[in-house]
Amino acid sequence: MRHPTEGVLRRLIDEPAGVSDADRRHVADCSRCLSDLAAARSDAELVGTALAAGSAADVDAGWARLSAAARAGAPRPAATTHRGSRFRAALRRPAVAALALGVVLAGAGTAAANDWLQIFRTEDVAAVGLSTAELVALPDLTAYGDVTFTGEDGLHAVPDAATAARESGLDLPEVDTLPSGVTGEPTYQVGGEVSATFTFSAERAARAAGGTLPPPPPGLDGSSVRLVAGPGVAQVWTSSSGVPALVVGRAVAPTAFSSGVPFETVRDYLLSLPGLPGDVAAQLRTFTADGSTLPVPVPSDYVSTSTATVDGAEATVLESRDQALAAVVWVEDGLVTVVAGALDTDEVLTVARALR
Amino acid sequence: MATSVRPDLEEVFRREYRRVVGVAARVLGSGDQAEDVAQEVFLSFSRSSVPAGEAGGWLSVAAAHTALNLIRSGRRRSSREETVAAATDPVVPDVAEAVLTEHDRARVRAGLARLPRTQAVALVLRHSGLSYAEVAAALDLSPGSIGTTVRRAESALRKELNRHASSD
Repeated sequence: MRHPTEGVLRRLIDEPAGVSDADRRHVADCSRCLSDLAAARSDAELVGTALAAGSAADVDAGWARLSAAARAGAPRPAATTHRGSRFRAALRRPAVAALALGVVLAGAGTAAANDWLQIFRTEDVAAVGLSTAELVALPDLTAYGDVTFTGEDGLHAVPDAATAARESGLDLPEVDTLPSGVTGEPTYQVGGEVSATFTFSAERAARAAGGTLPPPPPGLDGSSVRLVAGPGVAQVWTSSSGVPALVVGRAVAPTAFSSGVPFETVRDYLLSLPGLPGDVAAQLRTFTADGSTLPVPVPSDYVSTSTATVDGAEATVLESRDQALAAVVWVEDGLVTVVAGALDTDEVLTVARALR
Repeated sequence: MATSVRPDLEEVFRREYRRVVGVAARVLGSGDQAEDVAQEVFLSFSRSSVPAGEAGGWLSVAAAHTALNLIRSGRRRSSREETVAAATDPVVPDVAEAVLTEHDRARVRAGLARLPRTQAVALVLRHSGLSYAEVAAALDLSPGSIGTTVRRAESALRKELNRHASSD
């Protein structure tokens, strides 16, 4: 008899009743399967221990917090004391979503690979509205193929501006005058180049959609698209309460490459797949018609967007609806610059326009 | 009142809150941050039309994704946590846990962020106590594939630890 799969052996550890009698009998008498089973059990215990998290969440306190947030229609449940984490969440979410959608639209890798055709160079930033519920439910692209990330070591602190400039290879934007309430010296963070590569699999996509996918265009199956961005540098001013009060960051803007299939083909097909809300897909098609715009999806029930001009470049302005946070993002000469903080729109624009 | 809140919110919250926090805590290794994630996920749920019967799976999957997004995008914080964790390795209480330092745990979490997303979510859900059938329903996968998905994730994380152990 054939050996049961590794998945069956794994289930035998957790739910023996879910494994057929024949498989159980086989394993009991098969030294190879017993050995594989022991290895699976050892890995499961190791990972279980590593992930164990003692948590004694207080349900009543949690409910009080949620019901207050839901009643107030507050876009985020965090209380004032959590402004720091809200701030970070606000900075992170668009970036994460942008990366996720960037992978849909592009994919990534090192620009050095010669057999990759450049299909996308960011020249502009545009906001795409998403509700936070949709953000949580952004399509998991692993269902449609393989997604691999490289260079994800994240930002690390460096001691001074000179080191930041040397490590990132970028000129640091110099802040002329700090907004009122922001004082002291910034800390410096540097991040290396990051890339993401998405390789489409028709078989997996069909499985994900229950077999009802439109047929992929010829050549798409197995072809890859890559998105590469960075390095980048950030200067962070922290308020006396430890909350980041002002962040001025600059990074090499994302560029996309394809291994052959035209960009539009990949984009249009992926956008037609189930999972992306129809209106967002339509917006994305418009935004990327010239292949040069980086869409920054924002949780529209939390953040409002507008445009402004910074040094002649069109900039996207994001402001949380409670006006606690604001950010401005623009692209110039292949560099994306962001000024964000626990500030209002005028303040971030003043800082942005005075950068040297 | 800016939004209407679904009437079954409190019932679902009281039934699922601990588990949702647990899912996020497994990814994040931090109770406080896990509660923030759970709040965010329940707030999204409160405005959604997810059927009550599917709420448990939906919430767990959303918590896992949200927490994974945090560690994937928040390396600065996690590397700081790793540093702190490495500096404060506690006396571990029992033999099973003695083989893993806090540093190892942080590495496993970092490895989690690099796994294919479906594998990472399935792994976290399984270790949060969801049955194979529940994990399969929540991720819209066949129940027969869950064992393989979880096994591959565990194997990858084991390799991650071994790789670091040999390079230390």
